[in-house]
Amino acid sequence: MGFRLDRSNVAGVLGTLAFFGAWEALSRSGLVNEVMLPAPSTIAQSGWSLLLTGELARHLGASLLRAVLGFVSGSVLAIALGVAMAQIPLLHAAINPLVQMFRAVPSLAFVPLAIFWFGIGETSKIFLIAWGVFFPVWVNTYIGVRDSNPLFHRAAASLGASGWRNFAFVVLPAALPFIIAGLRVSLSVALVVLVAAELAGAAFGVGYLIQMSQQVFRVDQMFVGLIVLGVMGFSADFLFERAVRRLFPWYGAEKESGKKIVGPEGSAAPTVRADPRQQQGGIGETA
Amino acid sequence: MSARVDIAPRAAVDQPPIRCVDLGHVYDSGRGRAAALGDVSLTIDRGEFVCVLGPSGCGKTTLLNILAGFIAPSHGDVRVNGRHIEGPSSERGVVFQDYSLFPWLTAQANVEFGLRMAGRAARERAEVARDLLRLVGLPEAGAKYPFELSGGMKQRVAIARALATRPSLLLMDEPFAALDALTRSSLQIKLIDIHRQERPTILFVTHNIAEALVLADRLIVMSPNPGRIVEDIRIDLPRPRRRTSVAFNELYEHVARAIGLETAE
Repeated sequence: MGFRLDRSNVAGVLGTLAFFGAWEALSRSGLVNEVMLPAPSTIAQSGWSLLLTGELARHLGASLLRAVLGFVSGSVLAIALGVAMAQIPLLHAAINPLVQMFRAVPSLAFVPLAIFWFGIGETSKIFLIAWGVFFPVWVNTYIGVRDSNPLFHRAAASLGASGWRNFAFVVLPAALPFIIAGLRVSLSVALVVLVAAELAGAAFGVGYLIQMSQQVFRVDQMFVGLIVLGVMGFSADFLFERAVRRLFPWYGAEKESGKKIVGPEGSAAPTVRADPRQQQGGIGETA
Repeated sequence: MSARVDIAPRAAVDQPPIRCVDLGHVYDSGRGRAAALGDVSLTIDRGEFVCVLGPSGCGKTTLLNILAGFIAPSHGDVRVNGRHIEGPSSERGVVFQDYSLFPWLTAQANVEFGLRMAGRAARERAEVARDLLRLVGLPEAGAKYPFELSGGMKQRVAIARALATRPSLLLMDEPFAALDALTRSSLQIKLIDIHRQERPTILFVTHNIAEALVLADRLIVMSPNPGRIVEDIRIDLPRPRRRTSVAFNELYEHVARAIGLETAE
């Protein structure tokens, strides 16, 4: 096992080195224009100098702030509305057609409208990110609350649960695996919308860095922007995963232990980590 | 157990824990009406350990769900401690067949759940839960999450959880059906032990004849179409009961015939 793992690691490192080596060689060979395809070493250099001047930090800071504010506000609203709609049938009946309608429109299509309404400042970007984040989280929260194991609710009721305690200790945690899956999808959505909004007009931000670099023919800096975005996406996912493991040690564990448990336990679907894509695909039925 | 506090209003002592008169339930699915329970009358005394036995479709789980307050009966009168049932209540503890422990809470927090819902102080809750985990034989399992426990351990925690609010009635819906034979029989012994110590009134639903004969003071045998009581037997076999004894096997054959099995396995 260890040997195989090592071998595949070695293969991965070799593959990566070969890729960047070939790229470096190609850029320096004169076969392609080095301005159009700068060598990895050139990109690393310009990245380093952007870092030293503090310019990169400024762009990154601006992007992160927007992403965080948009993500938090969008998810909080989505969870609140998802829970409310699952609990109050009349509210669901009243709002569901609207939400489904808005959900069908790709959130990137709202970029021009948001800029028209809110200008190119922070408001439009935070709004757009929140808008994009809202739908995956809302769908999952709604399904999570609606489809959580009825046995939990019976057990809770027979133990005297009602009101806010029932909500805080049963309804919300029972839906949590679904909510977490929705939040996870929304992380990448937030990044996509962030970049689109910044490309469309901004004074700072990683997307703006890419856009500006294009206008001054600094392809090397465009690559730096791409790399920063990649690192942002990877770190966000990594930190999210770590936080979930720490805060909810039971999350996902049920699935792993499910292998050795025979019988009804395995069918306790809500405790199994949900595949977000399936969730999204299934929403048509709830409409 | 001295730390335990009464959550549920104490029952009037002269009222039987369960009294059903002509109780019936009809499930109305789209394709037609099915009488799950037809005119059942039954009175259970305080502290009795009653097993309800019957094949699937005999209405035993429907009866339990009505008593738990999960479903309202179609007709008839049912009283618990002399009062009508208005939904689930911590006065009636329920242990389910499936593992119904909250996966997001530790074993300790699961046992504390009923007391927490009643707004009890943390120290008091912890004390009660510790006592109960000891009672079910899991004094070390408090910090564990359900996914870290075996099936049998989960059901022990579920029993402890149901006992925490000191329900006057414990309703058990085939709680050991998903367990392997060895775990099942050790939990049966544990349950008999708990009943002897705490004297709750227990209504235990099962489709396993031997299990019913090992556990019950009184055996209610039900039959389907519509669900009704066909036998009501007091089981006086001395405890601990031996499955190999002649009396046990004679009773087994009798019950097997009553539920329509021609020959005992």
